[in-house]
Amino acid sequence: MAEHWTEDDLILYFYGEGRRRVEIEQHLQRCAACANAYRNIAGTLAMIKTPATPERGDQYGLEVWQRIRHDIADRQAPWWMVWMQPQRLGVLAAAAVLLIAAFVAGRVWEHQPPAAPTVATNATAPAPDSTTAANNADVRRRILLTSVADHLDRSERVLTDVVNASSPRDLSSEREWADDLLKTSRLYRQNAADAGERSVASVLDELERSLIDIVNSPSPISAADLDNIRRRIDAAALLFKVRVISDELRQREDFTARPAGTVRGPADRKTS
Amino acid sequence: MEALEVGSAEAALARARRGDSEAFRELVERHSRTVFRLAFRMTGNEHDAEDVVQESFLRAYKQLGRFESRANFGTWLYRITANCAVDLMRSRQARHDVSRGESLDGDIHQPTAEAPGPDRIAQSAEIEATVQNALGGLSPLERAAFTLRHYEGRSIDEIATTLGLGTSAAKHSVFRAVKKLRLALEPLRASGG
Repeated sequence: MAEHWTEDDLILYFYGEGRRRVEIEQHLQRCAACANAYRNIAGTLAMIKTPATPERGDQYGLEVWQRIRHDIADRQAPWWMVWMQPQRLGVLAAAAVLLIAAFVAGRVWEHQPPAAPTVATNATAPAPDSTTAANNADVRRRILLTSVADHLDRSERVLTDVVNASSPRDLSSEREWADDLLKTSRLYRQNAADAGERSVASVLDELERSLIDIVNSPSPISAADLDNIRRRIDAAALLFKVRVISDELRQREDFTARPAGTVRGPADRKTS
Repeated sequence: MEALEVGSAEAALARARRGDSEAFRELVERHSRTVFRLAFRMTGNEHDAEDVVQESFLRAYKQLGRFESRANFGTWLYRITANCAVDLMRSRQARHDVSRGESLDGDIHQPTAEAPGPDRIAQSAEIEATVQNALGGLSPLERAAFTLRHYEGRSIDEIATTLGLGTSAAKHSVFRAVKKLRLALEPLRASGG
């Protein structure tokens, strides 16, 4: 080739592209002008190094989720739209049939003699074999309730510590504590969601957000940063929600732990 | 183990496509760092990169219905991120610099007049600053095409697909970017940088 290669050809060649790479390679060995032009291009492009990307920790994905989750909820279709899909209409019809059946059964039930008054009793009935599976499910649920209640109690303590902290101070122990809680919190939230415990999952979700704030807080924390964390905890009424859900879980745990057939009277209730 | 991860990713994607936001959360957690890396390379700063990360996931969620299940979610998300970055750079440019055109001899930041000092670290810092300035002088499309080619190692065809351009337009965006960068960096090279 008598002509010289263009700058565009040489740029493509530098990046390993172009259909005439072999021709260009041979030409560069013969033509000093093109070889010089190529050296200039390659030299300049070699100066442009890939920038180092700032580190993002293991919790980064969760942080991103916390930032966008409200927008995701806003963008979701209205709940009833889900049931308008053809494949869901069958389920809707089945639910309607069950509802009617339950209504009819309820009407029949009303004519049965009234049940014995619900007085406190310790009488227990042996559980039939057919209820073993249900009992296992109850045990699993009870374990979950207990674990989540304990987790919420621990979280309440770290939140309280942070809310009452005087600034500026080192929050490193609270940060480590929050980091541990954060890992378990995600598991419990997932379990709670799987078990249909929506309100529990929702509080755990909000809790995670504040735990992330604490984990990512600078050391020592400034008054302004501490104030921001406190404001977010207050704005979400998080401490209140954590206490309420924890109490509720304790009560349910207590209720499911009692043997079948026992009904607690008012005297059995905790007065604390 | 890897097969299990792929399986769970596919399951999460399938559930997310049915409107399960919890499943979408899994995808966000899985892909956030990759999305951030691309966003940072394209925008050149953390703040803009974070904006791009958020907008990319929101856009992906909105468009999940259009995602073809046979396609690769990561590749699809990569494309969305690249285009979000271009959109953000365009809006920034429109807001801050309406006069900056696309011409070669337009507003290209020149390196500082002083010759680079003997200290190698200072020299490399100057090169980096000059490169950043020069990249700032590119149009959003040129910068995106150059980033995908130079930093991400994507072919011209892949750049065209990612940015929704014809092959020729993608190629010329890279050419224009390289020419502008050469013009801006040439004095540094001439002075021994």
